[in-house]
Amino acid sequence: MTQGDDRIPLTVIGGFLGAGKTTLLNRVLSDNHGIRFAVLVNDFGDLPVDTSLVTDHDGETLTFANGCLCCTMGDNLMKTLSDLAMRTEPPEHILIEASGVADPRPILDLGTLHPRLRRDLSLVLVDAETIHDRAEDVRLKETVDRQIAAADVILINKCDVVDEATVAAVRAWLRKRVPDAHIVETMQAAIPLDLVFAGDGSPEPMSRPVAANDHDHVDHGTQFRSVTVVPENPMTRLAIEQWMSVLPPSVLRVKGYIAAENDPGSVFLVQRVGNRLDLSVCPAQGKTPGVVFIGSADLPDADWIGRRCVA
Amino acid sequence: MSDITIYSAKRILTMNRSNPLATHVAVRDGMILGAGALEDLTGWEPYTVDDRFAGKVLMPGMIEGHAHAMEGAVWQDEYVGYYDRVSPDGDSKPGLKSIDEVIDYLSKVDAAMDEPEEALIAWGFDPIYFGGRRMVAADLDRISSTRPILVVHASFHIVNVNTAVLTRANVTAETNVMGIMKDADGKVTGELQGMPARFIVTSAIGREHFVEMGQEGSLWRFARSAQLAGVTTSTDLANDFAEATLANMKKLTSRADYPLRIVPAFLSNTRPPEEGVEMVRRILPESSDKLRFGLVKMVSDGSIQGFTARLMEPGYYNGAPNGLWYIEPDEIPRILNAYHGAGLQVHVHTNGDQATDVVLDAMEDALREFPNPDARFTIQHCQMAHESHYRKMARLGVCANLFANHLFYWGDEHYEQTMGPERACRMNATGTAKRLGVPFTIHSDAPITPLAPLFTAWCAVNRTTVSGRVLGEEERISVEDALEAVTLGAAYTLKLDGEIGSIEAGKRADFAVLEDDPLEAGADGLKDVRVWGTVVGGEIFDNAAITGS
Ligand SMILES: [Zn+2]
Repeated sequence: MTQGDDRIPLTVIGGFLGAGKTTLLNRVLSDNHGIRFAVLVNDFGDLPVDTSLVTDHDGETLTFANGCLCCTMGDNLMKTLSDLAMRTEPPEHILIEASGVADPRPILDLGTLHPRLRRDLSLVLVDAETIHDRAEDVRLKETVDRQIAAADVILINKCDVVDEATVAAVRAWLRKRVPDAHIVETMQAAIPLDLVFAGDGSPEPMSRPVAANDHDHVDHGTQFRSVTVVPENPMTRLAIEQWMSVLPPSVLRVKGYIAAENDPGSVFLVQRVGNRLDLSVCPAQGKTPGVVFIGSADLPDADWIGRRCVA
Repeated sequence: MSDITIYSAKRILTMNRSNPLATHVAVRDGMILGAGALEDLTGWEPYTVDDRFAGKVLMPGMIEGHAHAMEGAVWQDEYVGYYDRVSPDGDSKPGLKSIDEVIDYLSKVDAAMDEPEEALIAWGFDPIYFGGRRMVAADLDRISSTRPILVVHASFHIVNVNTAVLTRANVTAETNVMGIMKDADGKVTGELQGMPARFIVTSAIGREHFVEMGQEGSLWRFARSAQLAGVTTSTDLANDFAEATLANMKKLTSRADYPLRIVPAFLSNTRPPEEGVEMVRRILPESSDKLRFGLVKMVSDGSIQGFTARLMEPGYYNGAPNGLWYIEPDEIPRILNAYHGAGLQVHVHTNGDQATDVVLDAMEDALREFPNPDARFTIQHCQMAHESHYRKMARLGVCANLFANHLFYWGDEHYEQTMGPERACRMNATGTAKRLGVPFTIHSDAPITPLAPLFTAWCAVNRTTVSGRVLGEEERISVEDALEAVTLGAAYTLKLDGEIGSIEAGKRADFAVLEDDPLEAGADGLKDVRVWGTVVGGEIFDNAAITGS
């Protein structure tokens, strides 16, 4: 099911205590999303897991009914991660819960260094209700800055407990600090897991059939959309890079195959998360060209995106 | 009836305020029966007088309140620091004064190694003394292109590697990772930091080097290093309680010929507090007279010279951004309460004044929630505490363990770069602690700086930097107070002051045996006082057995 890249994507989830990391991880471990995640946490104690969903408990590892694992990091994250990646049946995606003061980037970098892992996404949750106070707190302001700067995607969470004006103010404030930030608003950290985390190297978001060109898929109840664009002509590396560089911040993730110009036997595997673009060349056989764009509610339609593709 | 030995000495500095000086000490079964003149002790019968220390000066075995068992592990590697340093075998390793000297030295080591692929590991390297010149992979490639070579910096946070290491770990110019330094041309320099450094080193040498501190050999070297310095008790601050380490510690400290009492502090940062409480409680009954469990350590912020300490206004003197929390400040009270509420003693590492501020508030709250007038919370390092913090510590009964060695080794950097003159002069404010009645001790943080309490005492007494500048005359303390700090002062922070830290009836027979009298040596000579050996629980340890001289 994975094509072109069989490394395990590594995602780090950051944000202060109370921002909603636990809610998000709890959903990963209980929902039926069809992805075998391994979740690394500091402390099982923080996760109010439904014990009826735990099918196996072996010291440092819990196995869940949906096939996901949850492990404690222990005192050696590097080793825990390596052991997971080298399992005979490795997880499809690894999520690491970073503490509120940890910089997600060095953790993600292990995904760059380890041959079995692939750096995917740093997702930072901010609490719409408290982020402003934290950013003003002399003890915390630099930590807030670092967290936000380290995010590929920022989730403004708890949008249901504050009014719209507050959400708008938080969004504007974030936008001012990080002009090209990818910002999404959520309630109870309700993001479509398969969309946000489907970075396993396959061109399609897992378990979610993507229909033909121009189909506009809206995930009701959340603020996520995905569109698919099939470039008309083969493209060069440079042309793809240029296309990706004009996308607005509402595009959170891009993945797919594009026929390579001057090389009919090959396609480019395009993977972009946040502003990080990863382009690799692989054999064209069995790969249907097409690029999926996943984003927040204000994601442009397929036509708009397609028109900016000048092959 | 067990044998009673009365040792005669040139002078005994007892640190017992009601009986400060003596010439004889009577010992039975590793315990002191009394100190005084011979005639004060002859009532303990039957006794034999032992004159082997007649020409020596005795003081209580010194106590290091903040060192790491890693002091033993590092010496399996090559020391390449700037200053001369004594190894646990008693060899004086000369300081290396340039990058070329480091390379020359390591080339000789390389030539003497048999296995061409075996890693060559060095430690203690500090480029701040080399006028801005950094070490690069090409420097180390001059030694070998095949053998992995690692040079760990004095801070233990940075490592320089040769090309062989980079190749083994598949690091290239395309590897864009924080912590892998590149030069202006985008070339990897070989200087690595943080988690990537640990990962690359591990993949290059096929093992995790620095988890080896709990091996028997390392623990022997730790104890010998202590013995050479007149130390009879040391903390291991902190310990992750790996099973093998604990087993080795139990095994060695149960031996009469192991010359050190160890107080391992449980490192709380990597575990949920509930789990940590359980781990410490489970091991508590395994404490023995030479191995004491129960202490817990938290680490709140980074270091000042690494610009990772958390500062209050006006921040770093050179304008560097504020440092890093290692625990969310809002989490500190919860974690502190979990351990303190379970009746365990907690020591917290703080370097910056903001960290001290947050931690002191948390301690105040914890003492309100779980009142314990004898909790003896201790702030470790506590380097930038203000006078207001010391006043609060005195009120709350919080102890300070101040990093006096910093004044010498990094004092000039603090004066010029990190803190500026005024704040550099009140760093590690031993004078203020003394004046305001805050119980305090002073430390080396070995292996960060050498394990040698008489040198640490010298630092607190003189406050002289490498360049000879005096950092804060007002904060100097007397020789007597400094000696008390490295004995009874440290014992107090560990709640062992009823057992060790002074030479008096009922305490353990732990002595530092000195060739010179520290009181006569005075402020200038304190660091040069020669240590003959130690006595631990009545067992005699002659340094000559280590040094062979
Ligand atoms: Zn330390």
